[in-house]
Amino acid sequence: MQTALDAADVDADALAARVDAVLNDALYWFPVRHHSAAVARHLEVVISQRRPKVVFIEGPAEAQELIPFVIDSETRPPIAIYSSYRDDDNVLGLAGIASPAEDIAPRFACWYPLLAYSPEFIAMQAAARVGADVVFIDLPHFAQLERRTCTPARLPGVAVEEETGKSARPTDELIAESGFYQQLAKVAGYKSWNEAWDSLFEIGEVTTDPERFRRELATFCAAARATSNPDRILGDGTLERERHFLKTIRETLDRRKLEPTDAMVVCGGFHLFLDRDDVTPPPETPAGTVYTTVVPYSFFRVSELSGYGAGNRAPQFYQTGWDLFRSGRPDDLLTEHVVAVLKRARREGHAASSADAIAVTQHARMLAGLRGRPTPILDDIQDAIVTCCCKGNPEDEGLPLRRAIDLTNIGTKVGKVTSKLGRLPIVNDFFTQLSDLDLGEVLGHERLVKMEFDKRQPFDERRSVLLHRLRFLDVPLAALAETPGAEASAGLLFRERWSLKWNPKVEPHLVEQTLLGDSIEAAVLSKLHEQLAADLHQAGATCAQLRRAIDMDLPNLIAEVQTACGAAVDADTQFVSLCAALGHLTVLDRYAVYRNLRRIELADLIARCFDRACFALPDVASAPEEQHAGIVSALQSLAELVLRGGRDDVDRSVFANHVRTAAEHSTVPFLRGAFLGLLAELREITPEELAAHVAAFAQTSPDQMVLAGDFLDGVLAVSRTSVMLGAGSLVAAIDQLLQAAEWSVFLTMLPRLRAAFERLHDRQVDSLASCVARKYGLTEAARDRLTELKTSVGAAALIADIDRRVAEIMRKWSF
Amino acid sequence: MAKKTAKEEVTSVAGSDQLREPAEIRYADQLEALRQNDQDAKPRSWRLSPRAVLTYIVGGKSLKAEIGGKKTDVPITRKFFGDDGLVERAIVTLASERALLLVGEPGTGKSWLSEHLAAAISGTSTLTIQGTAGTTEEQIKYSWNIARIIAEGPTPQNLIPSPTMIAMRGGLLLRFEEITRCVPDVQDSLVSVLSDKAIAIPELPDANMLWAKPGFNVIATANSRDQGVNELSAALKRRFNYIHIPMIADQKTEVEIVQQRSSELIAQYELPVKINPPILHMLATVFREIRQNKTSDGVSLKQPSTTLSTAEAIGVALDSALYAKFFGNGAVSPSDVARNLVGSIVKEDTADLAVLKEYNTLVARKRGASDKAWKEFHDTLAGQLG
Repeated sequence: MQTALDAADVDADALAARVDAVLNDALYWFPVRHHSAAVARHLEVVISQRRPKVVFIEGPAEAQELIPFVIDSETRPPIAIYSSYRDDDNVLGLAGIASPAEDIAPRFACWYPLLAYSPEFIAMQAAARVGADVVFIDLPHFAQLERRTCTPARLPGVAVEEETGKSARPTDELIAESGFYQQLAKVAGYKSWNEAWDSLFEIGEVTTDPERFRRELATFCAAARATSNPDRILGDGTLERERHFLKTIRETLDRRKLEPTDAMVVCGGFHLFLDRDDVTPPPETPAGTVYTTVVPYSFFRVSELSGYGAGNRAPQFYQTGWDLFRSGRPDDLLTEHVVAVLKRARREGHAASSADAIAVTQHARMLAGLRGRPTPILDDIQDAIVTCCCKGNPEDEGLPLRRAIDLTNIGTKVGKVTSKLGRLPIVNDFFTQLSDLDLGEVLGHERLVKMEFDKRQPFDERRSVLLHRLRFLDVPLAALAETPGAEASAGLLFRERWSLKWNPKVEPHLVEQTLLGDSIEAAVLSKLHEQLAADLHQAGATCAQLRRAIDMDLPNLIAEVQTACGAAVDADTQFVSLCAALGHLTVLDRYAVYRNLRRIELADLIARCFDRACFALPDVASAPEEQHAGIVSALQSLAELVLRGGRDDVDRSVFANHVRTAAEHSTVPFLRGAFLGLLAELREITPEELAAHVAAFAQTSPDQMVLAGDFLDGVLAVSRTSVMLGAGSLVAAIDQLLQAAEWSVFLTMLPRLRAAFERLHDRQVDSLASCVARKYGLTEAARDRLTELKTSVGAAALIADIDRRVAEIMRKWSF
Repeated sequence: MAKKTAKEEVTSVAGSDQLREPAEIRYADQLEALRQNDQDAKPRSWRLSPRAVLTYIVGGKSLKAEIGGKKTDVPITRKFFGDDGLVERAIVTLASERALLLVGEPGTGKSWLSEHLAAAISGTSTLTIQGTAGTTEEQIKYSWNIARIIAEGPTPQNLIPSPTMIAMRGGLLLRFEEITRCVPDVQDSLVSVLSDKAIAIPELPDANMLWAKPGFNVIATANSRDQGVNELSAALKRRFNYIHIPMIADQKTEVEIVQQRSSELIAQYELPVKINPPILHMLATVFREIRQNKTSDGVSLKQPSTTLSTAEAIGVALDSALYAKFFGNGAVSPSDVARNLVGSIVKEDTADLAVLKEYNTLVARKRGASDKAWKEFHDTLAGQLG
């Protein structure tokens, strides 16, 4: 019978000899898969039996001194070793490539997550129990950065910075891509590498003998490595890391005058078969600032759903298996997990009974049997849950159930780091403020907490200020529910809604802010100063900073920023930027009394800003397309200010004159439409005049006529009431245009016409549709026939009476 | 005996006097080969083990077997294209306490899968109740020979068993097609069949209960478009495991299905016609793009009211072949496909004409500029649509 080895064209005898050579090496090598509880169980036994003097672990060499804190009795996984590197002197030449500007040092960071059942974590704990020293042997991530490129480190079990966007578990990928695994998956019917791993090594009593387990895993990895693409191994940094492994191991043994038999190595199974004769030295570690610490991590972050490349697909599921094994109940995993999922499903609104739980466990066992497994693995359990509990399409009716499955698989656990590690002052300040302001609840679990503050209440105000400051520092803890443009009109000026969710990046991010100051306030002040300098002469950005300074309660800075705003308004000539500034200033004007702002100065700023914006308007009359959205938005905010009235410092006629000038000079149909549409909104031209501009396209040549769609798009982009008031004339004009257009011209015009009408809200659409209906003969009588309701005289009288009473109520409401 | 190819098999079906043979007859050789090679344990009354049933449905390697006294290699062809995990879940359900309900859009192969499961597990796929608005409780349970009742009174001999009763007596699978077309009262008559595994016959005091033999179970099908028409009661729902059959996920598989099924049908109708792969590819593309409201090059399209299932595409392929044979030159052309497309897409809602027109104008015409086959398709369809 042909095996996967034969199919993958591997010499089984040579492979066995290679495995024997490595497993019989004087230095004891133990293969692992990151976050595997089964590996951890066997490894723990091996370390306690062998009692080595040194355990070499595939962990980041730069974090060696953190090991005592990782295994401290106060530390509770999930945690992560955090390592960041700043290339202060641009030795990698990546400034301006991997950083926003050439004068900003590029920064790279990595997380090395550890769960309670991660083999590396268990190995550290077991080593401590037998008095062995632990040495981290992995190459620092920043030593793998390729010069003049942004290729991120690709390390096993490592979460690389999100912005790199690449998977960071190359050995898992290499195994899954290997010829041996591909053949095995085909023969055994594995749909994923996770399914294969769980079937072969993780779930059920695969073997109780650690040595047999070690041999089986080593053989598997040897076959995978022998059938991997050598170019992939060459290109992903695997060889450089392995060279660092060997160098560290050899140097440590020499320095401490130890025999290889005194030590053991714990590393990814793929690395067991590294080239021991490779004489190439590992890459040098570049100079720069390196910072490492241990931070609390979460199950969600470790899970694959969070997008973390080295993820574990179900951290809570494997944690439950680990806990049950340690309490002597390994066979209860299926039942415990099914009951947990169904309990969660009930909370999600999905009806699931105990009978369902029984059916699921029976189904999972039978499914595992059919698939050739002695014990159900996660895939079987999930399939059984969906089969027995989802009464319909899993993508539709089954969504609450699927959500319950995901939530139960992943869990919400967040780790804790020993207080002995010490915290930087800014981190301490953060935790103290959270505690003082009763916001500590967000730290317990990685779940969303929603809060609403009334800023007129002093305590709420303090909470709001802290969250605004954290938001300004980009600390990923809190998000403000934005209500653009609605603040004033909806009476939300003093109300804020926040969403808070703890994130393992909070602490590392605060650590990075320490360069700006030792407290949150000091860091905010420094950053605001830096930004003011960067925003010089940009009215919109500077006024946004003024608004932030007020939200963040920085009274000492407000006067300074206000002055900077005046200078920026005077210097800025950009229409969009000036309009943005005006938007910020008018919101601040509403705060003025409450915030003790100097209102006279603010009114002066608004007047200056308005005038400058009006005069800058003709400059954008023929702006390129990529600026149109910004211009329309700016025009609308300016028009809103004018139409709202009630301000002496805003002169309607000045605005109207400049819009008219812009319309006359514009060569861009979309913008011309927007300007004329705005004039109609301002009642400076009649709807009929506006419609005449649309109809005029019907008389033009085809190459001009196709631009009618753009023009109309511009009109409808700014229209509010004028479309409704002038619906009849507009429909007539469009009708005239469409009748004049050839089929091919119409097809060209169509996308923009569609885009234009998609801008309208329901009432505008109704208004236009009614006009079209009237124009094409759908009379009131016909409409009556369509909606004719056959009813008794009594019922009709009752309806008429209700109608009358509703009308009366609505009159009282002044509709 | 030489290895029998799928084509030869089809031909043997074509040679039959029956317009359509049930799966257990059509694929008798494969079922027998699997039975002879089956080493695994079988649930009681099952003809094959669950693993052999799975192989029959999803296909496997050729098996040596003695068929009609001769040793031969029998290829086990794939009957159901889609997720194998879904078939595994269906088989396990049928071996469990719960009944199986296959739900999905029309034309996704629910009845096809149900027939093959019944054929492989029980050796018969004909114990079937077709659910309609007129289905009665008697059709599900039993009825009486009225003439003999009048003469002799109720006796076991005067009872006319339903397919349910026959399946229960034999430990076989009952197929219940379109269960949600039946009114709720009639559906609920299945509750005792599924929970007690028994039918009460109060008219027979000495034999008033019929108990099902081990192996009895029910495979029902329901169209997801009928949801809400006659929703199953909560009591019935919890006695079924639902398996949702999705639309085919990828173009390659859909082309494969259309190719295999249309070849079988063309052989069955004894049509000396061949549909070339590019034509089938075009047909699958049209169906897929209109169904998904988006073309492969990103053009958004209107949503049709029909499902445009793979079964419909197979129907168009067969209609095109018939047209090519009787009115054309024997080879199916893009024009034949276009000609037979309208009836498949435009059914109860004439607004679907606009959908087809939009597709023809915005997509087919553009492709026709650089591709002769698409041009022919566009021109014919434009003529059809007026």
